[in-house]
Amino acid sequence: MVTFIIRRLIGTIFLLIVVSMITFAIFFLIPRLAGQNTYQLAAQYVGRNPTRDAILQVERQLGLADPLYLQYGRFLRGIVFGAHYRTGPTDTYCPPPCFGYSFRSQLPVWPQMISSVPVTLSLAIGASVLWLIGGVSIGVLSALRRGTLFDRFSMAVALAGVSLPIFFTGLVALELFSYKWPIFPNVQYVPFTDNPLLWARNLVLPWLVLAFLYAALYARLTRAGMLETMSEDYIRTARAKGLPERRVIFKHGLRAALTPIVTIFGMDLGLLLGGAIITEVTFSLHGLGLFTVQAINNQDLPEILGVTMLAAFFIVIANLVVDIFYAVLDPRVRF
Amino acid sequence: MRRRRLYGLAAFGAAAALTLAACSSSGSSSSSSGGNTSGAGSAPAFNSGVTSVVNPSTHKGGTLTFDWRAAPDSFDPGNTYYAAVWNFARFYSTALMTFKNCPGSCGKTLVPALATAPGVASDNGLTWTYHIKSGVKYQDGTPVTSKDVKYAIERTFDRGVLPNGPNYFANLLGGNAKTYPGPYKDRAKNLMGLTAIDTPDATTVVFHLKAPFSDMDYLLTIPQSAPVPPDKDTGASYQTHIVSTGPYKFESYQLNKAAVLVPNTEWNASQFPTVSQLPSKLVVNMNMNPNDVDNRLLAGDAQVDFAGTGVQAAARAKILSNPTLKAQSDAPITGFGWFFYIDSQVAPFTNLACRQAIQYAANHLTLQNAYGGPVAGGAIGSTVMPPTVAGYQNFDLYEATTKTQGDPAKAKQLLQTCGQPNGFSTGIAYRSDRPTETQGAQALQQALSAVGIKTTLHGYPSATYFTNFAGVPKYMSSHNIGIAFGGWGADWPDGYGFLSQLVSGPSIVPAGNTNIGMLNDPVVNDLFTKAAGITDEAQRNAIWGQIDRQVMKDSVIVPIVYAKALIYRPPSLTNVYFNQAYQLNNYAVQGLTGG
Repeated sequence: MVTFIIRRLIGTIFLLIVVSMITFAIFFLIPRLAGQNTYQLAAQYVGRNPTRDAILQVERQLGLADPLYLQYGRFLRGIVFGAHYRTGPTDTYCPPPCFGYSFRSQLPVWPQMISSVPVTLSLAIGASVLWLIGGVSIGVLSALRRGTLFDRFSMAVALAGVSLPIFFTGLVALELFSYKWPIFPNVQYVPFTDNPLLWARNLVLPWLVLAFLYAALYARLTRAGMLETMSEDYIRTARAKGLPERRVIFKHGLRAALTPIVTIFGMDLGLLLGGAIITEVTFSLHGLGLFTVQAINNQDLPEILGVTMLAAFFIVIANLVVDIFYAVLDPRVRF
Repeated sequence: MRRRRLYGLAAFGAAAALTLAACSSSGSSSSSSGGNTSGAGSAPAFNSGVTSVVNPSTHKGGTLTFDWRAAPDSFDPGNTYYAAVWNFARFYSTALMTFKNCPGSCGKTLVPALATAPGVASDNGLTWTYHIKSGVKYQDGTPVTSKDVKYAIERTFDRGVLPNGPNYFANLLGGNAKTYPGPYKDRAKNLMGLTAIDTPDATTVVFHLKAPFSDMDYLLTIPQSAPVPPDKDTGASYQTHIVSTGPYKFESYQLNKAAVLVPNTEWNASQFPTVSQLPSKLVVNMNMNPNDVDNRLLAGDAQVDFAGTGVQAAARAKILSNPTLKAQSDAPITGFGWFFYIDSQVAPFTNLACRQAIQYAANHLTLQNAYGGPVAGGAIGSTVMPPTVAGYQNFDLYEATTKTQGDPAKAKQLLQTCGQPNGFSTGIAYRSDRPTETQGAQALQQALSAVGIKTTLHGYPSATYFTNFAGVPKYMSSHNIGIAFGGWGADWPDGYGFLSQLVSGPSIVPAGNTNIGMLNDPVVNDLFTKAAGITDEAQRNAIWGQIDRQVMKDSVIVPIVYAKALIYRPPSLTNVYFNQAYQLNNYAVQGLTGG
């Protein structure tokens, strides 16, 4: 197991290097191939009606005039060793992992990114708990009560959940429960350490909206998986041996049906940790998703590169955790 | 089974109908609560805030919440070029000059802020002397001196560290301004290396210009002239540790997320009558969903839309259809103009008659509709300068306001004159992430096709529109793009502030160009030079009007609308009125009702 984890972590590092190279190429090389020069790139970050000298100063400050391989090398070195930036009377030291210097805000990228992580973590983990519990429970019940009104109604709701986009359900939720009937007024992120109750209250609507989408998917997946496993011979054998029905369902039925759900959960959670973009934009939550949108709108290339790397890291780690969890779930899996 | 299915469908349908009814219900609880609890006079009506102060009050206390759909380029007064930040910056920084606190055109009157009086020009307008008020202190109690004003301007010369603010000082100052690298690189002479500014004593600042510039008082309203203590300056990160000279100071600032300001106890209200210290706290929430901003205003969760450029389409419909909400809103002429340029260097627009043909071919009514119609978009324009800019003259060379759907016959006549009787092909550039410009470009395309002018639409992102596309003269020529949509708001409310970057020959640059019409008319250039040397305001204003008329004759700009913005004012907000100088409501005097 330990060897497996170490191997996967080494593989993760190589994967992140490849991701960084591809992202660097997309955002730094392709614009040049399309005819944009570094002077034009620098001009975006100098305010309105800049002088030529002003643009050249920014070009130098941001290192845009250097060859791409030098810029990339500087970027990688910063992640490992940190970097110094000229920010005024004294240089600013950006400790590792340093993801470069924001073109737009003229400050290091990493502190801005890391301050967004708690918001996304709160949103993703809270919603994932809700959708796992809700989705799996409904899926199990639907499978056990196949063909009943509960089954049909819950699958209809699941279809609605999968079909309705978050920017619709989110806006409806805000309109009804924040403005019209202020049950959850003033939905803004409050750090857990400041006020846990307010933290939770202000996240209920985003949690529910996000969980509604995913719970629907998980309910259908769980139902399909349960229907398949509950018709297996070993389930009939377990019942014939006189095991309690609850044990048959959860220890033998659900456990076997969970494997695909765990796989999907790993991917979903990993993607969400990289930024639940639509939810964060809808609810104005300053997480990694909103940070990504701003970085793209501002064409702030170091920020885009940083957030892409961080999102890739979360996805890879989430999948590693899922793979480890397989061994717990399925005794047949060995590393 | 069938009956159960029917009941299920009916229940679902009822739930959906209830949901939709709830969503479409108008008004909010805040519209019937609150109100003018401490103000005087009759109940405010639609557009009351354009000409009068709504909810006048001296009530202190409460948290004034600003919601913003974006974030500042920087809160550092020396590193920002956003009108809303210049407006808000008066809460924590004090420039040498400012504008009078009054609605209407009165609000464009210059008054001293940190200075004791407007500047005194001498040496044929090449030297301007200001005295700063004594006894002014920073938030930590240290006194403000003239050297701090000089330092504040010096630091803006290092564009590598502070790239955002305007370039006026580098362009207008004499001495070694052309080569001065800024105090971060030039550490000599106690950081006072810029020879264009003298500080003979602790309260005197003397500016030496390279050419006469009569708008110096206007120039010094911008926050770059607000003092910065050299020993507290941290360069690019100063934006997170600003040392205040205004009525408020930063308690916290999470970059691009939220800022909280609290009263500055070292600020002396009697010295600065143009700003107030009414709320107990100011909160600015940034990067909010635009529709969320409007809904929070309507619900009373926030009091001010920081951007101040008007509500979104959904809220606009809600407000205009509800008499109560409409009475709590204003649609001022903002001082911003929307227009499209005609590039005089792209054939066949090198010929004046071809450019003038576009003036007549354009359907001004459909263009106005694209920008939101007469109420939310603005009145059809016929001049470059909007009516709120000092120097504005009312004229209509191309009958835009009388023949609002254009004059295709006249357009065809002019096409004949310019040697294009069968029309021609050209491109139209616009910002594709702006729905108004997208619709405007489509409306223009349709109108031009009626006179035989075939156009190709080229949409570009806002972030790179001026730096990489429309603002790159070579790109426009090589891609045969003769028309580009744009807009402008003045840095200060007179003709120079509005026109100089749009139409003066020296303003043409290879990238980031805003004189997209590529106008280099000696008549216009000479008028700018003449105006710069005239200190009499009335004479200067007359020249701005002449420039506007000449530019319209040259036909490099086709005005669309004098922009309006539908601004909602929650009943709990006091001292609300539109300030023509900042082209926004005057934030620096606002407070909250006691209710």
